[in-house]
Order: sequence, then structure tokens, then C-alpha cells
Amino acid sequence: MSRKSLIIIALVLSGIAPVLFAQDNVTPQRKHAIDSLALEKVRDLSKYISIIGDKGTSFSEASRVIKRADELFATGSKMGVSTLASPAVNYFTVDNYFKRLMALNYIKVKIDWYSIHYISDLEKQPDGKYVGVVTIYQRFEGYGAEGLKYTDVTKKDVTIYVEKKHTQINGMPIDFWDVILGDMKVTETKKQ
Amino acid sequence: MNLIKWISLFVYIQFYLRVEASAQTIVAPTLEDEVVLYASTKQVNQFFRRFNNEESIDGSRYYEKDSLYRNPITRSFFLNLLFDKENSFVKEDLKRQFIQYVGDPEKPVFLDFHGGNWIAQVNTIFYWEGKEVNATLFLKLQEEKIGSKWVINRVCFRPFEEFFVKDTQDTVHFLHPLSHELEFMNLYKVFHDDKNILQNYTERNYDPDYLALFLFEVKKGNLRFKTVTDVKFHFFQVDNWYFELSQFNRAGYNTGWLISDLQKLDSKEKDSLLKNVYNRYE
Repeated sequence: MSRKSLIIIALVLSGIAPVLFAQDNVTPQRKHAIDSLALEKVRDLSKYISIIGDKGTSFSEASRVIKRADELFATGSKMGVSTLASPAVNYFTVDNYFKRLMALNYIKVKIDWYSIHYISDLEKQPDGKYVGVVTIYQRFEGYGAEGLKYTDVTKKDVTIYVEKKHTQINGMPIDFWDVILGDMKVTETKKQ
Repeated sequence: MNLIKWISLFVYIQFYLRVEASAQTIVAPTLEDEVVLYASTKQVNQFFRRFNNEESIDGSRYYEKDSLYRNPITRSFFLNLLFDKENSFVKEDLKRQFIQYVGDPEKPVFLDFHGGNWIAQVNTIFYWEGKEVNATLFLKLQEEKIGSKWVINRVCFRPFEEFFVKDTQDTVHFLHPLSHELEFMNLYKVFHDDKNILQNYTERNYDPDYLALFLFEVKKGNLRFKTVTDVKFHFFQVDNWYFELSQFNRAGYNTGWLISDLQKLDSKEKDSLLKNVYNRYE
């Protein structure tokens, strides 16, 4: 196995999850690889939301997961929430959004994710980073003592920033593309 | 087979082939729901791709080398899907004409994200003098040395406009034609008179820059952003046509970003419509 292959494997195992490329334009093949990486991050987010919302999750575990979820987002990212009744957007910090989810007043919460997702094209912004939006759908069920109390379906449009980064491993320079999440718009689409 | 049936069949196959990645993350609540979500035009980006037939039913991107890229047959399916079907103001015949025009096999018309001639209308609420007041911002996509960005190019804010209503028939308030001989000493009259008619001393075509005023007031802390309430887009990219794109968050298959208004126009009508759009309060 070549030295370069070993370094790539090391990067993958180190959690950087790189998409390694030499140039900085986005070809269809590269876009495909970046999409996979973006989806992986969004799936991590979905998983964390499910754990944080789950009433069976202990407070300390939920707090730990909130920290992990926070790390997926760029500093200063906001959650914008609108409902069917009120289309005006309410803004929350990422941390507050998760804390509110953790504090919901139900005996049991069930959060499911539709397998459908939609990934936009990537557009270059003036700072050289690429930006895209991944759309996913979540179904939420909140149970009270007398059974199902509330259910809704929300659309989540998640901003993704894609940036080319550089690192050195064993003195060897490596370029890779990294994905970080940004603002997220949460829109209620169905309520019962 | 119509498009919804086509999507249903696609989702049906997906549904039974699906392997659940993890019990915590992926569940397909109902087949019906999934069909609805597939049918929805979920992003403006998807509207562009569907309009141009640059993606498959499941949203996978087609590139130029793909055989179905901008395919005229599947494109006409998608174009039909992109109208708000609950809007009776846009007549079927007009839609047909539009679809024929953009789908002309000799000279097809495609939308271009970076092609200009489309603007965003963002309805917002600001705090102003202790009250919540609507402000409509208009933004356009500006190309930069690297990449592009949305920039604000206009604002509609009713309190400013009311402030500048001009009485064009005013024959009382003016600076007489020999004012210059007195080195305009009579300006005292302009600035000490009733401030409400100050604008009557400006030239006939005076057009206040409301955006400059708006930015000034935000910077001074007199205007404070609260929220966005609605977004729509106005497209002038297709020669001799205008259409409006709005988001429909409702039950059924005809949801997401859809054409909510369609008009056939000549170049003169285009200018007056654009002016109209910029003066809209919703």
C-alpha cells in the first residue's frame, strides 16, 4: 500500500472525513462526493435530534449530545422556525433550539425521518467557500398520559458550507474538502 | 401515465427496496406522505432544475453528458407540475402557450440561476417608533469576482412614502424665479415653513432614495429587524413573459415553489410591471 493511501485512510479514521481533491472547482464527481459528506453530517444531526428529543435519554447524555450537535454547526448559526399558524420566522441559537427540544413537555416523544432528501447545487460565495442547502423531513409525535397528544411534519432546510482545507500528515501536505452546517430553517408542513 | 402516478410507482419501489439504516434515524411513515414529498418542489433550486429538466424524479442531478439532460418530453411533464393549480387567475390556455414557448424544440428557453432578470421579494417586519411595521425588501443576485451574493436593491416602506407625498399642484409654496438675486436668502421660508410640505420645493421628478433612508434609520437604531414573513420571486428571464414564484405549504401534491402568476408582455409592459412589483405591499 502506498504512503499516500495510508495517509488517506488515516484521515478518514481521524474523523476529518475528507473528500480529497487537488483543484478547487466542483466537477459532477466531486459534487457527488461532497453531497455524500454533507448527507453524512445531516444524518448525524438527525440522529442527535432524535436522541435529544427522546424522553428516555438522561439529562447528562442529552447535554453531551447537544455539545456534539453544536459542533456540527458554524459559529453563530441560527435556527429559524415557522409554523403553519405563524409563517413569521422565530430565531433561536443552535444551543437554545436543542435545549427547547430537550425540555418539551411530553411523556414520550417519537421522532422519525423520512428517507427523502434533496440536495441543491453548490454555489460559490465571495469568500471562496461553496454553499448549498440540504432539505430533509421529520415526523414528530408527542405522547401525554392519555396517548398521542401532538404530531407534526417539519421540513428542515440546512445550509452547508463546503470549504477546501489543508493539513499536513507526516510532513506531507494534504488538501481536502470539509463540510460544516450553517443556518437551518424549520418549516412546519403538517400538523394533527 | 401522469407524473403523480409515475412518482407513486417510483416511491413504491423505493419503499419496498429500502433498507433501514438505523432504527433511530430512518423510517418511512407512510407511502402517501413520501409521494407528496417527492412531488413537492422543495427548493427554488429544484424549481430551476425541474423547469430545465436537469434532474430525475427522485431529484438526482442530470449533467450535460446524461441522455435525459434537458430532455423535451420529460421537461413538459415537469413544466406542467410547476404551476399553482389552485390559482384560477392563470388561465390554462396561457399556461399552454408559455410551456410551448419555453419548450419550443427549435429554440427552447431555460432558466439560468446566474442569468439575472429575476428578483426576490422579501416581506419582513421591523420595529419602528414602538410599533411593528411591514417592510418589503427587494434583492437581486450580484456576480462578484469570486462567486455571487444577494444584495438589497430596493425597499418599500410605507411610512417613508407617506412622508414624501408631493402636492404637484401646489402654487403657494415655491422659491420664486429671482431668488438667486437675493442669494437664496428666502430659503429660510423653505426650512421654517410646515415641514410636511418640504418635498414641494424639490424638482418635479424628485424620487427619494428610500433604501438610503432605510439604511440610515437602521444604523441610527430607529428601525430594528424582527422577522421575515414571506418570500417570492419575480422572473423576467423569459423574453416576453413574466412569472411569479411563490411557496405553497399545504396538503396535496401541488406544493412547494410554484408559479403563482403568469403574464405575457411586450417590453413596455415589462417596465411598467417591474415598477408595479417594486411598489407592492403585501
